[in-house]
Amino acid sequence: MKKNLLFPILGTLLAISLFSCIKDTDFDQAHDVTATPVVELNLIHFNLVAQDFFDETTNTPRLVLTDTTEIRFLDDTETQESLIRADFDFVFTNSIPRSFQTDFTFLTVDNEETYATTTSVMEGSPDAAVVTEFTEVVEGATILQLTQADKVVVTVTIPSSDESLQGSLNLKSKTTYYLEVKERN
Amino acid sequence: MRVVLFLFVALGLHFVALAQNKQVLYGFEEVPQSLLLNPGSKVPQRMHFGIPFLSQIHINGGASGLSVYDIFGNTGEDINAKIERKIFEMKPTDFFTATQQLEVVNFGWRSKSDFYFSGGMYQEFDFISYFPKDLAILAWKGNADYLDYEFDLGELSTTGDLMTVFHFGANKQIADKLTVGLRAKIYSSMLSYRSTNNSGTFVTRLGTADSENIYEHEVRNASVTVETSGIASLSDNFSAGTLIGRAFFGGNLGVGMDVGATYDITPNWIASASILDIGAIFHSKDVETYRASGDYILDGIELIFPPLANGENTFPYYDDLEDELEREIPIDTLYNSYTQMRPLKINTSLKYQFGKTIGGSQECDCMNKGGGVEKQQSIGLQYYSIFRPKGPQMAGTLFYYRKLFKYLAAKVTYTADAYSYSNFGLGLVGDFGKFNFYVAADNLQHYGNLAKSKSVSLQLGLNIKFYEE
Repeated sequence: MKKNLLFPILGTLLAISLFSCIKDTDFDQAHDVTATPVVELNLIHFNLVAQDFFDETTNTPRLVLTDTTEIRFLDDTETQESLIRADFDFVFTNSIPRSFQTDFTFLTVDNEETYATTTSVMEGSPDAAVVTEFTEVVEGATILQLTQADKVVVTVTIPSSDESLQGSLNLKSKTTYYLEVKERN
Repeated sequence: MRVVLFLFVALGLHFVALAQNKQVLYGFEEVPQSLLLNPGSKVPQRMHFGIPFLSQIHINGGASGLSVYDIFGNTGEDINAKIERKIFEMKPTDFFTATQQLEVVNFGWRSKSDFYFSGGMYQEFDFISYFPKDLAILAWKGNADYLDYEFDLGELSTTGDLMTVFHFGANKQIADKLTVGLRAKIYSSMLSYRSTNNSGTFVTRLGTADSENIYEHEVRNASVTVETSGIASLSDNFSAGTLIGRAFFGGNLGVGMDVGATYDITPNWIASASILDIGAIFHSKDVETYRASGDYILDGIELIFPPLANGENTFPYYDDLEDELEREIPIDTLYNSYTQMRPLKINTSLKYQFGKTIGGSQECDCMNKGGGVEKQQSIGLQYYSIFRPKGPQMAGTLFYYRKLFKYLAAKVTYTADAYSYSNFGLGLVGDFGKFNFYVAADNLQHYGNLAKSKSVSLQLGLNIKFYEE
């Protein structure tokens, strides 16, 4: 029983390829895939007491306290490409009978200022702490200034202080990051 | 996050082009490769050998709960809306699989003592990933709308293997009604990774008045392990030569076996069963295991405001935070050997044959010593099960077989499985002189548009067969 082998094989393969296809699809849509996660993340926190504003060794007030931390996730390439908006929420709880000015200055690796914001904290009393909330929304073109930053300098300024000052100043903060993760050329 | 997104899209793109049920080929005795699905099947021929690299080409891919069309269908709807709907529709037990096999060598012959010996070598790629739903939600939506929700890290479960299999088996009709077979296998692993049995949760919740900061981001009881074999050395120095060397016993080796039997209950009722890949691969060379475990609550960065002299640096808060994280949830690299069980597969079938009697191998039935007769048509049921990390995946099949001509036989199947309840398959096998050609495919109702199919399986191959003179 000799049969031509080629014909049935080619025929079957042809039938499979003819009857199979992928249609009604548009794979170019892959370029439009965009994840839009909204991420809630703690930022910085501190707890200062009234004595921190008075230097007991020299018996002089310390009116300006400052500290710096790196926030390296802010200027990495992925954040730079994807971040479209950042909402900073600062919650101060003050029981020191003074108002405060607090400055947040964002710096690049080379200490160049890229973004700054400031807020005043309401006066409290040792018996009744006062809560001051401050929200800073950064979006649009200014977001680029923010994502150049690699560190933040926090400066707390008290108008006057003395040995007998009582109370504490507490900060809690978080940021809501609105991201847009997509293919970029 | 980008990696997760990429993975999701890449899987979405590839699963159709690329699982492991060969329901059409099982019990299809005209195809010599049916011996690989049941070493105890009836063997009509006296001798066979496969055309090298062409004797079996098998691809099988699938995604339960998702088709290409679901995502890339030209419906005018925004693709992101479609992806989002699918992320929430799919379950963590949904999976993506891909299997590919290429037979390099296959041969068999009937000995004087009436054993049918067969052997050969094939290459196999096998991949499965369960859908890590919580991680997908976290990557796609973020945690803002999911305060107090515990994201389950244990949903991450995936394995992948590239190997060659060397096998040799024996088949014999040991009684009038019973044919049995046994096949020994040596696995030569080229690449392998596995991340299963993971656990842990991630939750973001609002802190209390006593909390350090506004939120508490907590990772609890985390234990995530990725075992790799044959990958660490290649990531530094990739060489095709090394890979090919591993294909020929140069990599990590394993042993296994297949067993099977066919029993004629009555001349017309025939039952068969097989258990495949009872075995394990012992990974000891080029093994790296990464394990992250621990508990951690992230409060953010606490500023201390230390009194500093001019030019003096403050504390490295950020580095300290990173160090703390690495201390609490360390990522260890281990070099311990590990044993990987092969995914065990079970096939069973029951068929009823009817119609005209046909000679098993030739017109005269004199060589068919006391064996059952073969009829022109049969119908039956098949059950298939494969053991996967999160439990067995099962499939049930109804089939109809018919010998169309002396040289051409066909089998149609209807299969219900995790992918769908409407999978129609067709297999054709032709004996053209000494040449034996077969092709089997399923989900035929989708061949008009493969994009709408959740799984595709295709086997084809070319052999040379000799019957008794």
